[in-house]
Amino acid sequence: MKPPSENHDLIRWLDGEMNDNERASFDEQLKHDPLLAKEAEELRALSATIRLHLPAEMKMPHADFFNSQIQVRISQMEADDARSNVASAPTWFAVFRWLRQPWFVAAGAAALAVLSFVLLRPAQDAPSQSTILSSYTPNTHVRAHTFHDEAADATVLMLDGLDEVPAEKKISGITVQRSEMEPEFASTTLFDAEGERLLMISRDSTGSPLIWTKTPRG
Amino acid sequence: MPASAVSDPIEVSDIDLVKRSQAGDTRAFDILVTRYRGRIYAMTYHLIQNETEAWDLAQEAFIKAWRALPNFKLDAGFYTWLYRIAHNVSYDWLRKKKIQGDGEFDDEHTSHRAAAGAETAPKGDPAPDMAMRNAEVGQRIQAAIAKLSPEHRQVIVLREVEGLAYEEIAEMIPCSLGTVMSRLFYARKKLQEQLKDVYETTL
Repeated sequence: MKPPSENHDLIRWLDGEMNDNERASFDEQLKHDPLLAKEAEELRALSATIRLHLPAEMKMPHADFFNSQIQVRISQMEADDARSNVASAPTWFAVFRWLRQPWFVAAGAAALAVLSFVLLRPAQDAPSQSTILSSYTPNTHVRAHTFHDEAADATVLMLDGLDEVPAEKKISGITVQRSEMEPEFASTTLFDAEGERLLMISRDSTGSPLIWTKTPRG
Repeated sequence: MPASAVSDPIEVSDIDLVKRSQAGDTRAFDILVTRYRGRIYAMTYHLIQNETEAWDLAQEAFIKAWRALPNFKLDAGFYTWLYRIAHNVSYDWLRKKKIQGDGEFDDEHTSHRAAAGAETAPKGDPAPDMAMRNAEVGQRIQAAIAKLSPEHRQVIVLREVEGLAYEEIAEMIPCSLGTVMSRLFYARKKLQEQLKDVYETTL
Protein backbone atom coordinates (compact mmCIF):
# COMPACT_ATOMS: atom_id res chain seq x y z
CA MET A 1 0.00 0.00 0.00
CA LYS A 2 1.39 3.38 -0.93
CA PRO A 3 2.06 5.48 2.18
CA PRO A 4 0.29 8.82 2.43
CA SER A 5 2.44 11.71 1.28
CA GLU A 6 3.64 13.94 4.09
CA ASN A 7 2.02 17.30 4.39
CA HIS A 8 3.99 19.29 6.92
CA ASP A 9 1.98 22.43 6.21
CA LEU A 10 -1.16 20.63 7.30
CA ILE A 11 0.19 19.52 10.66
CA ARG A 12 1.95 22.83 11.25
CA TRP A 13 -1.38 24.55 10.67
CA LEU A 14 -3.09 22.07 12.96
CA ASP A 15 -0.55 22.52 15.76
CA GLY A 16 -0.37 26.30 15.54
CA GLU A 17 3.22 26.25 14.33
CA MET A 18 2.65 28.70 11.46
CA ASN A 19 3.25 32.42 11.55
CA ASP A 20 0.43 34.80 10.60
CA ASN A 21 1.35 34.98 6.93
CA GLU A 22 1.69 31.23 6.58
CA ARG A 23 -1.61 30.66 8.34
CA ALA A 24 -3.46 33.17 6.16
CA SER A 25 -2.02 31.57 3.06
CA PHE A 26 -2.97 28.07 4.22
CA ASP A 27 -6.49 29.17 5.18
CA GLU A 28 -6.89 30.49 1.66
CA GLN A 29 -5.69 27.15 0.30
CA LEU A 30 -8.29 25.32 2.41
CA LYS A 31 -11.07 27.40 0.91
CA HIS A 32 -10.20 26.20 -2.57
CA ASP A 33 -9.35 22.59 -1.80
CA PRO A 34 -12.31 20.65 -0.33
CA LEU A 35 -10.29 17.44 0.07
CA LEU A 36 -7.59 19.22 2.02
CA ALA A 37 -10.23 21.00 4.08
CA LYS A 38 -11.90 17.66 4.94
CA GLU A 39 -8.55 16.14 5.92
CA ALA A 40 -7.74 19.16 8.07
CA GLU A 41 -11.11 18.96 9.81
CA GLU A 42 -10.68 15.24 10.50
CA LEU A 43 -7.23 15.68 11.95
CA ARG A 44 -8.46 18.53 14.12
CA ALA A 45 -11.26 16.34 15.44
CA LEU A 46 -8.81 13.51 16.09
CA SER A 47 -6.51 15.81 18.02
CA ALA A 48 -9.35 17.21 20.09
CA THR A 49 -10.59 13.70 20.92
CA ILE A 50 -7.15 12.53 21.99
CA ARG A 51 -6.58 15.58 24.17
CA LEU A 52 -9.95 15.15 25.80
CA HIS A 53 -9.30 11.56 26.77
CA LEU A 54 -5.60 11.55 27.60
CA PRO A 55 -5.22 13.56 30.78
CA ALA A 56 -1.90 15.25 31.45
CA GLU A 57 -2.29 14.33 35.10
CA MET A 58 -3.51 11.07 36.56
CA LYS A 59 -4.20 9.85 40.04
CA MET A 60 -1.21 7.83 41.15
CA PRO A 61 -2.29 4.38 42.37
CA HIS A 62 -1.08 3.66 45.91
CA ALA A 63 0.33 7.18 46.10
CA ASP A 64 1.47 7.03 49.73
CA PHE A 65 3.30 3.78 49.08
CA PHE A 66 4.89 5.39 46.02
CA ASN A 67 6.31 8.21 48.13
CA SER A 68 7.42 5.97 50.97
CA GLN A 69 9.20 3.63 48.57
CA ILE A 70 11.18 6.54 47.17
CA GLN A 71 12.18 7.59 50.68
CA VAL A 72 13.26 4.04 51.46
CA ARG A 73 15.37 3.83 48.33
CA ILE A 74 16.99 7.18 49.01
CA SER A 75 17.88 6.01 52.53
CA GLN A 76 19.34 2.81 51.11
CA MET A 77 21.40 4.73 48.56
CA GLU A 78 22.76 7.05 51.21
CA ALA A 79 23.68 4.11 53.42
CA ASP A 80 25.41 2.41 50.47
CA ASP A 81 27.28 5.60 49.62
CA ALA A 82 28.39 6.00 53.22
CA ARG A 83 29.69 2.43 53.33
CA SER A 84 31.45 2.91 50.02
CA ASN A 85 33.13 6.09 51.20
CA VAL A 86 34.40 4.40 54.34
CA ALA A 87 35.72 1.47 52.30
CA SER A 88 37.60 3.71 49.92
CA ALA A 89 38.74 6.45 52.28
CA PRO A 90 41.93 7.75 50.74
CA THR A 91 44.37 7.70 53.59
CA TRP A 92 48.06 7.15 53.34
CA PHE A 93 47.66 4.66 56.12
CA ALA A 94 45.45 2.56 53.88
CA VAL A 95 47.90 2.78 51.02
CA PHE A 96 50.82 1.62 53.09
CA ARG A 97 48.76 -1.01 54.86
CA TRP A 98 48.00 -2.30 51.38
CA LEU A 99 51.70 -2.25 50.52
CA ARG A 100 52.43 -4.31 53.63
CA GLN A 101 49.89 -7.01 52.84
CA PRO A 102 51.41 -10.52 52.94
CA TRP A 103 50.25 -11.30 49.45
CA PHE A 104 52.03 -8.29 48.22
CA VAL A 105 55.33 -9.03 49.91
CA ALA A 106 55.17 -12.72 49.09
CA ALA A 107 54.72 -11.91 45.47
CA GLY A 108 58.07 -10.22 45.54
CA ALA A 109 56.67 -7.20 43.82
CA ALA A 110 56.50 -4.87 46.73
CA ALA A 111 57.85 -1.55 45.91
CA LEU A 112 57.81 1.77 47.47
CA ALA A 113 58.83 4.79 45.66
CA VAL A 114 60.15 7.34 48.00
CA LEU A 115 60.38 10.65 46.43
CA SER A 116 62.49 13.56 47.41
CA PHE A 117 60.99 16.60 45.92
CA VAL A 118 60.51 20.23 46.25
CA LEU A 119 57.01 21.53 45.82
CA LEU A 120 57.19 24.86 44.12
CA ARG A 121 54.75 27.07 45.93
CA PRO A 122 52.38 28.29 43.23
CA ALA A 123 51.45 31.90 42.73
CA GLN A 124 47.84 32.78 43.58
CA ASP A 125 46.52 32.15 40.09
CA ALA A 126 49.12 29.75 38.78
CA PRO A 127 48.61 26.00 38.72
CA SER A 128 50.44 24.02 41.39
CA GLN A 129 53.27 21.86 40.15
CA SER A 130 55.87 19.69 41.85
CA THR A 131 59.42 19.25 40.73
CA ILE A 132 60.59 15.70 41.37
CA LEU A 133 64.30 15.61 42.10
CA SER A 134 64.82 11.90 42.68
CA SER A 135 63.03 8.68 43.47
CA TYR A 136 63.93 5.48 45.24
CA THR A 137 62.38 2.03 44.94
CA PRO A 138 63.55 -0.74 47.27
CA ASN A 139 62.53 -3.32 44.72
CA THR A 140 64.75 -2.90 41.68
CA HIS A 141 62.12 -4.51 39.44
CA VAL A 142 59.85 -1.57 40.05
CA ARG A 143 60.43 1.68 38.27
CA ALA A 144 58.99 4.97 39.45
CA HIS A 145 58.39 7.99 37.32
CA THR A 146 56.23 11.06 37.61
CA PHE A 147 54.56 13.60 35.42
CA HIS A 148 52.41 16.66 35.84
CA ASP A 149 48.86 16.29 34.57
CA GLU A 150 47.76 19.71 33.38
CA ALA A 151 44.07 18.83 33.20
CA ALA A 152 43.96 17.51 36.75
CA ASP A 153 46.53 20.05 37.97
CA ALA A 154 48.23 17.22 39.81
CA THR A 155 51.54 15.44 39.96
CA VAL A 156 51.06 11.78 39.14
CA LEU A 157 53.30 9.01 40.47
CA MET A 158 53.54 5.92 38.26
CA LEU A 159 54.89 2.62 39.58
CA ASP A 160 55.70 0.15 36.81
CA GLY A 161 56.37 -3.47 37.69
CA LEU A 162 53.86 -3.94 40.51
CA ASP A 163 51.58 -6.94 40.60
CA GLU A 164 47.95 -6.25 39.84
CA VAL A 165 46.02 -4.86 42.76
CA PRO A 166 43.34 -7.32 43.88
CA ALA A 167 39.88 -6.29 42.73
CA GLU A 168 38.58 -5.98 46.26
CA LYS A 169 41.22 -3.41 47.16
CA LYS A 170 40.13 0.14 46.58
CA ILE A 171 42.81 2.77 46.29
CA SER A 172 41.81 6.28 45.46
CA GLY A 173 43.71 9.50 45.05
CA ILE A 174 45.04 11.67 47.80
CA THR A 175 45.21 15.40 47.40
CA VAL A 176 48.45 16.88 48.63
CA GLN A 177 48.02 20.57 49.16
CA ARG A 178 51.63 21.47 50.01
CA SER A 179 54.90 20.10 51.27
CA GLU A 180 57.67 21.25 53.54
CA MET A 181 61.30 20.22 53.43
CA GLU A 182 63.60 20.31 56.42
CA PRO A 183 67.20 20.04 55.15
CA GLU A 184 68.49 19.61 58.67
CA PHE A 185 66.65 16.32 59.03
CA ALA A 186 66.59 15.49 55.32
CA SER A 187 62.84 15.10 55.56
CA THR A 188 59.86 16.04 53.48
CA THR A 189 56.37 16.37 54.93
CA LEU A 190 53.19 16.41 52.89
CA PHE A 191 50.07 18.25 54.09
CA ASP A 192 46.43 18.06 53.05
CA ALA A 193 44.03 20.99 52.47
CA GLU A 194 43.26 21.23 56.19
CA GLY A 195 46.95 21.48 57.02
CA GLU A 196 47.11 18.02 58.52
CA ARG A 197 50.23 15.90 57.95
CA LEU A 198 49.63 13.14 55.45
CA LEU A 199 53.10 11.68 55.09
CA MET A 200 56.61 12.38 56.28
CA ILE A 201 59.59 10.91 54.49
CA SER A 202 63.09 10.86 55.84
CA ARG A 203 66.15 8.62 55.91
CA ASP A 204 67.95 6.91 58.73
CA SER A 205 71.70 6.87 59.29
CA THR A 206 72.11 4.04 56.78
CA GLY A 207 70.20 5.88 54.11
CA SER A 208 67.13 3.63 54.31
CA PRO A 209 63.79 5.42 54.07
CA LEU A 210 61.79 6.25 57.15
CA ILE A 211 58.10 6.86 56.63
CA TRP A 212 55.47 8.24 58.93
CA THR A 213 51.87 8.06 57.77
CA LYS A 214 48.69 9.62 59.04
CA THR A 215 46.60 7.07 60.90
CA PRO A 216 42.89 6.91 60.24
CA ARG A 217 40.52 8.62 62.63
CA GLY A 218 38.67 6.56 65.18
CA MET B 1 18.96 11.92 56.88
CA PRO B 2 18.28 15.59 57.36
CA ALA B 3 14.72 16.79 57.20
CA SER B 4 13.41 20.24 57.91
CA ALA B 5 9.92 21.30 58.72
CA VAL B 6 8.06 22.47 55.65
CA SER B 7 5.06 24.51 56.76
CA ASP B 8 2.58 24.71 53.92
CA PRO B 9 3.66 22.67 50.90
CA ILE B 10 1.33 24.56 48.57
CA GLU B 11 2.96 27.86 49.36
CA VAL B 12 6.52 26.61 49.06
CA SER B 13 8.03 27.21 45.63
CA ASP B 14 9.77 24.55 43.62
CA ILE B 15 13.02 26.46 43.92
CA ASP B 16 12.87 26.47 47.71
CA LEU B 17 12.07 22.77 47.78
CA VAL B 18 14.84 22.00 45.32
CA LYS B 19 17.36 23.98 47.37
CA ARG B 20 16.39 22.08 50.49
CA SER B 21 16.53 18.81 48.61
CA GLN B 22 19.97 19.63 47.31
CA ALA B 23 21.01 20.14 50.92
CA GLY B 24 19.81 16.60 51.65
CA ASP B 25 16.31 17.39 52.95
CA THR B 26 14.35 14.31 51.92
CA ARG B 27 11.09 15.72 53.27
CA ALA B 28 11.33 18.63 50.86
CA PHE B 29 11.93 16.17 48.06
CA ASP B 30 8.91 14.18 49.21
CA ILE B 31 6.76 17.28 48.66
CA LEU B 32 8.14 17.63 45.14
CA VAL B 33 7.28 13.98 44.54
CA THR B 34 3.72 14.57 45.76
CA ARG B 35 3.43 17.70 43.65
CA TYR B 36 4.46 16.09 40.37
CA ARG B 37 3.81 12.37 40.69
CA GLY B 38 0.42 12.64 38.95
CA ARG B 39 1.86 14.35 35.89
CA ILE B 40 4.92 12.15 35.70
CA TYR B 41 2.81 9.04 36.13
CA ALA B 42 0.41 10.20 33.39
CA MET B 43 3.30 10.59 31.00
CA THR B 44 4.88 7.22 31.79
CA TYR B 45 1.45 5.58 31.67
CA HIS B 46 0.56 7.04 28.27
CA LEU B 47 3.92 5.98 26.90
CA ILE B 48 4.11 2.53 28.47
CA GLN B 49 0.41 1.63 28.62
CA ASN B 50 0.87 -0.58 31.62
CA GLU B 51 0.06 0.49 35.15
CA THR B 52 2.71 -1.50 36.98
CA GLU B 53 5.54 -0.61 34.63
CA ALA B 54 4.48 3.03 34.50
CA TRP B 55 4.39 3.15 38.30
CA ASP B 56 7.90 1.66 38.53
CA LEU B 57 9.28 3.94 35.85
CA ALA B 58 7.82 7.03 37.49
CA GLN B 59 9.52 5.99 40.70
CA GLU B 60 12.77 5.38 38.84
CA ALA B 61 12.52 8.88 37.39
CA PHE B 62 12.21 10.44 40.85
CA ILE B 63 15.13 8.38 42.16
CA LYS B 64 17.28 9.46 39.23
CA ALA B 65 16.21 13.04 39.82
CA TRP B 66 17.26 12.80 43.47
CA ARG B 67 20.68 11.51 42.47
CA ALA B 68 21.07 14.19 39.81
CA LEU B 69 19.84 17.05 41.99
CA PRO B 70 23.35 18.28 42.84
CA ASN B 71 23.79 19.03 39.13
CA PHE B 72 20.44 20.77 38.73
CA LYS B 73 20.79 24.45 37.96
CA LEU B 74 18.26 26.57 39.76
CA ASP B 75 17.65 28.82 36.77
CA ALA B 76 15.94 25.93 34.96
CA GLY B 77 12.38 24.79 35.59
CA PHE B 78 12.29 21.82 37.93
CA TYR B 79 9.29 20.16 36.30
CA THR B 80 10.77 20.48 32.80
CA TRP B 81 13.97 18.93 34.07
CA LEU B 82 12.13 16.17 35.91
CA TYR B 83 9.90 15.54 32.90
CA ARG B 84 12.94 15.09 30.69
CA ILE B 85 14.37 12.50 33.09
CA ALA B 86 11.06 10.63 33.22
CA HIS B 87 10.73 10.78 29.47
CA ASN B 88 14.23 9.36 28.96
CA VAL B 89 13.63 6.59 31.49
CA SER B 90 10.38 5.61 29.79
CA TYR B 91 11.70 5.84 26.28
CA ASP B 92 14.76 3.75 27.15
CA TRP B 93 12.38 1.14 28.53
CA LEU B 94 10.33 1.21 25.34
CA ARG B 95 13.38 0.81 23.16
CA LYS B 96 14.62 -2.12 25.22
CA LYS B 97 11.22 -3.74 24.88
CA LYS B 98 11.34 -3.21 21.16
CA ILE B 99 14.86 -4.66 20.89
CA GLN B 100 13.84 -7.68 22.94
CA GLY B 101 11.10 -8.24 20.36
CA ASP B 102 8.61 -9.56 22.82
CA GLY B 103 5.67 -8.60 20.66
CA GLU B 104 4.89 -5.51 22.66
CA PHE B 105 3.98 -3.57 19.56
CA ASP B 106 2.20 -6.29 17.64
CA ASP B 107 -1.44 -5.54 17.08
CA GLU B 108 -2.35 -9.06 18.16
CA HIS B 109 -0.50 -8.93 21.44
CA THR B 110 -0.91 -5.37 22.55
CA SER B 111 -3.22 -5.18 25.48
CA HIS B 112 -4.23 -2.06 27.27
CA ARG B 113 -4.69 -2.54 30.95
CA ALA B 114 -6.55 0.25 32.64
CA ALA B 115 -5.07 1.19 35.96
CA ALA B 116 -7.06 0.13 38.96
CA GLY B 117 -7.84 3.37 40.69
CA ALA B 118 -6.25 5.43 37.94
CA GLU B 119 -8.19 8.21 36.33
CA THR B 120 -7.99 7.76 32.60
CA ALA B 121 -11.12 9.75 31.92
CA PRO B 122 -11.53 13.50 32.26
CA LYS B 123 -12.33 14.79 35.70
CA GLY B 124 -15.82 15.89 36.56
CA ASP B 125 -19.07 14.17 37.28
CA PRO B 126 -20.70 13.29 33.97
CA ALA B 127 -23.91 11.30 33.74
CA PRO B 128 -23.40 7.52 34.02
CA ASP B 129 -24.01 6.85 30.33
CA MET B 130 -21.68 9.67 29.36
CA ALA B 131 -19.07 8.40 31.80
CA MET B 132 -19.27 4.96 30.27
CA ARG B 133 -18.98 6.40 26.78
CA ASN B 134 -15.95 8.44 27.90
CA ALA B 135 -14.35 5.36 29.39
CA GLU B 136 -14.90 3.41 26.17
CA VAL B 137 -13.46 6.18 24.01
CA GLY B 138 -10.53 6.52 26.38
CA GLN B 139 -9.80 2.82 26.11
CA ARG B 140 -10.08 2.91 22.32
CA ILE B 141 -7.59 5.78 22.16
CA GLN B 142 -5.20 4.11 24.58
CA ALA B 143 -5.38 0.89 22.57
CA ALA B 144 -4.72 2.76 19.32
CA ILE B 145 -1.73 4.56 20.82
CA ALA B 146 -0.42 1.28 22.21
CA LYS B 147 -0.21 -0.02 18.64
CA LEU B 148 2.06 2.80 17.56
CA SER B 149 5.81 2.36 17.41
CA PRO B 150 7.76 3.91 20.34
CA GLU B 151 8.82 6.81 18.12
CA HIS B 152 5.29 7.62 17.01
CA ARG B 153 3.84 7.12 20.46
CA GLN B 154 6.45 9.44 21.86
CA VAL B 155 5.63 12.41 19.61
CA ILE B 156 1.88 11.96 20.08
CA VAL B 157 2.20 12.03 23.88
CA LEU B 158 4.59 14.99 23.82
CA ARG B 159 2.39 16.96 21.45
CA GLU B 160 -1.19 16.02 22.32
CA VAL B 161 -0.88 15.35 26.04
CA GLU B 162 1.90 17.69 27.08
CA GLY B 163 1.24 20.29 24.40
CA LEU B 164 4.91 20.80 23.64
CA ALA B 165 5.91 22.89 20.63
CA TYR B 166 7.83 21.24 17.80
CA GLU B 167 11.13 22.75 18.93
CA GLU B 168 10.61 21.49 22.46
CA ILE B 169 9.82 18.02 21.15
CA ALA B 170 12.88 18.04 18.90
CA GLU B 171 15.02 19.03 21.87
CA MET B 172 13.47 16.44 24.15
CA ILE B 173 13.86 13.44 21.84
CA PRO B 174 16.35 14.73 20.42
CA CYS B 175 15.89 14.92 16.64
CA SER B 176 15.37 17.44 13.85
CA LEU B 177 12.22 19.49 13.37
CA GLY B 178 11.65 17.65 10.11
CA THR B 179 11.69 14.33 11.94
CA VAL B 180 9.21 15.62 14.50
CA MET B 181 6.81 16.71 11.76
CA SER B 182 7.26 13.51 9.82
CA ARG B 183 6.62 11.31 12.87
CA LEU B 184 3.62 13.37 13.90
CA PHE B 185 2.18 13.12 10.42
CA TYR B 186 2.45 9.33 10.19
CA ALA B 187 1.42 8.77 13.79
CA ARG B 188 -1.76 10.74 13.17
CA LYS B 189 -2.47 8.92 9.95
CA LYS B 190 -2.31 5.62 11.82
CA LEU B 191 -4.54 6.90 14.61
CA GLN B 192 -6.91 8.32 12.02
CA GLU B 193 -7.36 4.86 10.50
CA GLN B 194 -8.07 3.23 13.84
CA LEU B 195 -10.21 5.91 15.42
CA LYS B 196 -12.27 7.15 12.53
CA ASP B 197 -15.55 6.03 14.05
CA VAL B 198 -14.58 7.63 17.37
CA TYR B 199 -13.77 11.13 16.25
CA GLU B 200 -16.32 11.26 13.44
CA THR B 201 -19.06 11.74 16.01
CA THR B 202 -17.51 15.06 16.93
CA LEU B 203 -17.49 16.37 13.32
